[in-house]
Amino acid sequence: MEYFLHILVITGIYIILTMSLNLVVGYTGLAALGHAAFSCMGAYVSSLLALNYGLSPWIGLVLGACVAALLGIVIGFPSLRLKGDYLALATFGSGIIVYSVAKNWVAVTRGPMGLPGIPGFSIFGAEISSVWSYLILVAAFVVLTYLVMRRIVRSPFGRVLRAIRDDEIAALAMGKNVNKYKIIVFVVGAFFAGVAGSLYAHYITFIDPSSFTVMESIAVLLMVVFGGMGSLAGSFVGAAILVIFPELLRFLGMPSSVAAPLRQMIYGLLLIVLMLYRPQGVLGKYRWK
Amino acid sequence: MINQIIANGLVAGAVYGLVALGFTLIYRSVKFFHFAHGVVYAAGAYIAYTFAISLSINPVISFFLAVVLAGVVGVIIDRLVYLPLRKCKAPSLVFLLASFGVFIFIQNLLQLIYGAQILTIRTGPVKEGHHFLGAVITDTQILILVASFVLCLALWMFVKKTKLGKAMRAVADDRIAASVVGINPERIILAAFAIGSALAGAAGILISLETNIEPTMGMNAILKGIIASIIGGIGSIPGAMFGGLFLGIAENLDIWKISAGWKDCIAFVILIAFLLIRPGGIMGVKSGGERL
Repeated sequence: MEYFLHILVITGIYIILTMSLNLVVGYTGLAALGHAAFSCMGAYVSSLLALNYGLSPWIGLVLGACVAALLGIVIGFPSLRLKGDYLALATFGSGIIVYSVAKNWVAVTRGPMGLPGIPGFSIFGAEISSVWSYLILVAAFVVLTYLVMRRIVRSPFGRVLRAIRDDEIAALAMGKNVNKYKIIVFVVGAFFAGVAGSLYAHYITFIDPSSFTVMESIAVLLMVVFGGMGSLAGSFVGAAILVIFPELLRFLGMPSSVAAPLRQMIYGLLLIVLMLYRPQGVLGKYRWK
Repeated sequence: MINQIIANGLVAGAVYGLVALGFTLIYRSVKFFHFAHGVVYAAGAYIAYTFAISLSINPVISFFLAVVLAGVVGVIIDRLVYLPLRKCKAPSLVFLLASFGVFIFIQNLLQLIYGAQILTIRTGPVKEGHHFLGAVITDTQILILVASFVLCLALWMFVKKTKLGKAMRAVADDRIAASVVGINPERIILAAFAIGSALAGAAGILISLETNIEPTMGMNAILKGIIASIIGGIGSIPGAMFGGLFLGIAENLDIWKISAGWKDCIAFVILIAFLLIRPGGIMGVKSGGERL
């Protein structure tokens, strides 16, 4: 039961990540392949503040997300000038750069040894530690993220995003500052990825760079595409199925040396099959251009 | 010291260059990033391992077989995944994502079959290298350098002089116009995948003579291959080799001056700098720039 709840918490964190990436990829049509960089930033900033300065994880979460958003500006400002495959490559590269900084800046991040003993969230001085309370906490953040995302995509701002996705030149001709919109949406996505990263760090209480590899970015992208490009409900479906389904392999009694590559193989195959038969995803409407 | 750095950089760069050559050859004919090229490189090394070590076949024969089979793997990927996508005229990002899928699938298939641990093809004692202009260079490294330059030159001659090579250039310039004059683009794409993937397999085998092999080796190779072909000028054959050597030397300078851990970081900083400042690469090709 404990284990099942744990999986639900992880699913919740992935739903936040998937929704934030869906805003960038699904709604605005930007091929961003480095989303783990932002959750990495959020996780490290908030953990280091808590470990080194004893800062409350609540403040750490906000600061971590803000620094992740700042990183979004740093990465987005130059790379959003590129398009298509080249944007994909530049964001992918940024993901590798951030991962490699987390791994090699040993003086601050302790490199591959990771950061153990990260304190959990506390309410009125009492640290919450049970899986139940984390489930409620993460669920609250999922709802919050969902409401913010829904507000964004249904507003006139969101309409401009879809216009950029469907026809960038037309949006430009309508007098919209396309670059400004792209950067804002990229930064908002980075902010929520930072929130997800911080939640993850304080829940697991241990982080190391291996949780934020480029493969992680591709897994989140797969969740977006599988659930549905430009569909928030799809993000719930995509994240839930792709987190929970591979866990079932564990119950088939496979040793981890078989289960781990098998799980990845299923991901790979799923990505190929989706691209061949339904590139817009299960609930999505928008097709890649 | 600097001579040794340059020698090491040239050896590393020659392998990046080989991967970039295959990648660029395929890119010219299909116009998308064939990311799974990296896993073909890893598959080449593993196939060579199977023949040479597991089945104890003569190394030269098994390496030859592995190069041919790597070409076959590339063609199979094209037929099973890319051909259906081409038929429904999918955009290049869909190709890229499908290619990621192929990459993840085959890499983990290798891990499932051979295990995650490192394997080695090298046999016999390690020989001391030759001293040359103050740098020490081993027989294997000389083999890597010579083989890479011969393959690069051969490919360049092939594309410049032969009829199939000319047809390839025609398809690279304009696929529709090429089919109007009676060139079958599908045949050219098939040839590009066969030759390009065989080159990746050759690169994988060469590197396995120098270091160990592991299932995840393809990731580093394709990243460096893509970076090399972009900084060389995407689609340009000499550019791919130049880009590879440039990257190899830059990385080794960085290992010398900073630390080995940062080399991926530096490689991508170089890439992003090129994408922003000189998207056409060293050779200044147009095809990279027009898509930006």
